[in-house]
Amino acid sequence: MSFIEKLQNIDRRWLYLLAWIFVLYPLINPLGLPVPIQKESTAWNKAVNDIPDGSVVIFSCMFSIASIPELYPMTIATFSHLLTKNCKIIVATFWADGALVFDQTLLKQFDPAKYGKVYGKDWIDLGYVPGAETAMRAFADDMVNTFPKDYINSQPTGSYEIMKNIKTAKDVDIIVSFESGTPGVGEWLRQWNTPYGTKLIVGCSGVSAPGMAPYLQSGQLSANLPGLTSTAEYELLIKRPALAVAGVDAVSMSHLLVVLLVILGNVGYFATRGRKS
Amino acid sequence: MSNVLRRIEIPIALTIIFTLLQVIPYYFRWESDTKLVDPLDSAAGITSQWVLLVVAWSIFIGVISLIQVHGKTVQKRGKGWYYSIIVLATCIVMTIAGLPFPKELGLGINNPVYTFLFNNVQSPLSATVFATIAFFITSAAYRSFRAKNIEATIVLVAGLLLVMSNAPLFTATVPLIKTIGQWIYDIPNMATNRAVTIGAALGLVALAVRTLLGRERGYLRGGGD
Repeated sequence: MSFIEKLQNIDRRWLYLLAWIFVLYPLINPLGLPVPIQKESTAWNKAVNDIPDGSVVIFSCMFSIASIPELYPMTIATFSHLLTKNCKIIVATFWADGALVFDQTLLKQFDPAKYGKVYGKDWIDLGYVPGAETAMRAFADDMVNTFPKDYINSQPTGSYEIMKNIKTAKDVDIIVSFESGTPGVGEWLRQWNTPYGTKLIVGCSGVSAPGMAPYLQSGQLSANLPGLTSTAEYELLIKRPALAVAGVDAVSMSHLLVVLLVILGNVGYFATRGRKS
Repeated sequence: MSNVLRRIEIPIALTIIFTLLQVIPYYFRWESDTKLVDPLDSAAGITSQWVLLVVAWSIFIGVISLIQVHGKTVQKRGKGWYYSIIVLATCIVMTIAGLPFPKELGLGINNPVYTFLFNNVQSPLSATVFATIAFFITSAAYRSFRAKNIEATIVLVAGLLLVMSNAPLFTATVPLIKTIGQWIYDIPNMATNRAVTIGAALGLVALAVRTLLGRERGYLRGGGD
């Protein structure tokens, strides 16, 4: 087999090794490649910035632990951005892992008290309730009875000052949801956005982004932050470079590898096509 | 009496009643001042809370099923029985450590054993399994993206442009790549996704109508009549 023929049939172990090197090297030695700001991150930054004072925000981690590498950077960046604003934050999730992701990882990174936010007055963590779309509907109708106790102190939800005037979806101004599947954007739209008109912005993994396009175009979704690249742009916009900026070089290099391999495969294919026929 | 309770019409009637209870207030919520819709809306809200209880209880069924399946595997020394021991042990330890009561024992989400297992076992294992997709995608893209015909070439070119438009390395060097990638995302992708979404929604409407008419019985008695 000639070299050119081998190009279209490289052993997958070599591919795995190359992928490993192309991802690992920029993580160990950051290349500092430029990150141009695109419209998704700009729209996301504007949507968070434009949240008026005194607004009520639902903050939802609708993803499992497996999606942490991609979705956690945008979650932490947006939460820190929200904490700088004068709004009330209700953390709630309909994914079993979501409450753990928020409590065990995000809250360990920084304390909302450092931003002057008081638990139970400015923000509250309601945790997880099973039932997916039905639970989301129940939450919209009666927030306190759907989550009878908060997640952190296990105290009656209705006893907290923040919940005094927040009873149903009508009292909520915007949903900020991070998700990697179902339940997710479709359920928020059906049970919150359409019946109550609650504004919705969604951060998602890169692979979910194409499915968001119809909702963005129709205006049902106000902003979408897809994947690590957009998150890196957002981190730069809020002047808080962190995990995504550190990882975006690896994204570039892994994409470069895919492009190079596809070109090599096609070079091999076209060079040998005539010979085979 | 028992024969009457086993009649197929009973679950079908219950399905129709509870489906309509959810559907009617949803479409007439804007008219909620009317005396007809308010009680229906309230009843729909109560039944939603019932569903949450049913789903919460079903989690116990899941745990019992897991214990039964893996318990039998261990008992019979079936294939990979030692993995079943790990599953059972971690399930029991996580469940006990994560119980929110009694507080005096320090159990719950802040229990050190629970936190340790979550941060040092569950999180890295889940992330690692998910990350292996990157290797498979690289290999799959290399093997499948071949310009063998017109259709394959269109997919190849569109796919490569989208890959490149998502990498700052390319968009910073040639900004036009992002413009083209954005066009693919905004126009052909959006149109296709919208068609799929609308098609699926129409299918769901048809399924709901068939269920309401009692014609769809796939959810009853294992799908049989």
